[in-house]
Amino acid sequence: MSDSNSNHKILSCAEFQEQLPDMFTQEADSDLHEQPELRAHLATCTNCSSLVRDLEYIADQARLLLEPTLEPSPDVWSNIQSKLRKDGTDGKSN
Amino acid sequence: MLQGNPMTNTTAKNPGVFRRNAPIAGEAEAIEAARSGDPDAFAKLYALHKRRVYTLCLRMLGNVSEAEDMTQEAFLHLFRKIGSFRGESAFSTWLHRLTVNLVLMHLRKKGLQLVSLEETINPSEEDAPKRDFGSRDPRLTGSVDRVTLERAVASLPPGYRLVFILHDVEGYEHNEIATMLECSTGNSKSQLHKARLKLRDILRETAVVNEGAV
Repeated sequence: MSDSNSNHKILSCAEFQEQLPDMFTQEADSDLHEQPELRAHLATCTNCSSLVRDLEYIADQARLLLEPTLEPSPDVWSNIQSKLRKDGTDGKSN
Repeated sequence: MLQGNPMTNTTAKNPGVFRRNAPIAGEAEAIEAARSGDPDAFAKLYALHKRRVYTLCLRMLGNVSEAEDMTQEAFLHLFRKIGSFRGESAFSTWLHRLTVNLVLMHLRKKGLQLVSLEETINPSEEDAPKRDFGSRDPRLTGSVDRVTLERAVASLPPGYRLVFILHDVEGYEHNEIATMLECSTGNSKSQLHKARLKLRDILRETAVVNEGAV
C-alpha cells in the first residue's frame, strides 16, 4: 500500500476549483471529497477552504426554503372549484 | 470525509427528500375520499398542499400571476388524475413532481424548447460567477437568514435558479434533474455549482451593504 499523504499531486487553486461541481453532489456515488489531493489542497489553502465553507453553508441554508411561507390568493381555489364543477368533479369551499 | 474542514457530513444524503416525504395527518384518508370524488377531500388536500405547491411555482417562475395559474393547473391535474396515484411514492412527492413537470412544460411553451433547453438555461458569460482566486472575503457562515437567501435566490438567472431550487431546496438528485430538464447530469452539476457561486457573490455583496449600513 502506498502512502497517500506523500504520493498525491499538488493541486493549484484552479485545478481544485474545477473539481468542486462534483465534490458538492449529494448522491451516494460521490466520493471525490475523499481524494487525498483535494484534502491536501484544502488543508493548505485558506482561500479555497473559505470558498468551500461558504458553498457548503449556502447548500445547508437552502433547506430553510423548503418550508413554504407564501399562500396563493383565494381566487385560485375559486377557479379550481369552478373548473371542477364544469368537469362534473366537484369541490366545495376551502 | 474531510476532517477539520467545513465540507464534511453536514449535507446528509438528500435530507430534502425525507422532509418532503413526511406523512401529514389526515392526508391518507383525504386521498381515499378524493378518489371517490368527495369535494371535502379535495378541499382538504388543497389546504394541506397549496402553500408548498404555490411557493414552488413562484420560485421557479418568479412571477405571482403565472405562479397562481400553475398552482391552479397543478391542482386541477391532481384532482382529475388522482385515481392514477398508486402510493408508490409519498403523495407530496408525486404532487411536487407533477407540479415541476407542469411548470417546465409551461416554460418550454414560453420559448425554452426541449432540445435547446441545455443552452438556453446557460446564462451569458457576464452572468457567470467569477472564479475566486486570491480574494479575501467576509465569512458567510451564520450571517444569512431566510429572507436574505430568498431574495438572493430570486435574483439568480432563471437557469441557475431552477437547478438550485430543484436540487438544494427540493432535494432532487442530478440524474432526476437531468431527466426533467433534458440535459446531462454534468450540466446539472455545473449549473448548480455556478448557482451557488453566484449566490455567494450576491450574499457577500449584501453582507457588505449591511455592514456599511450599521
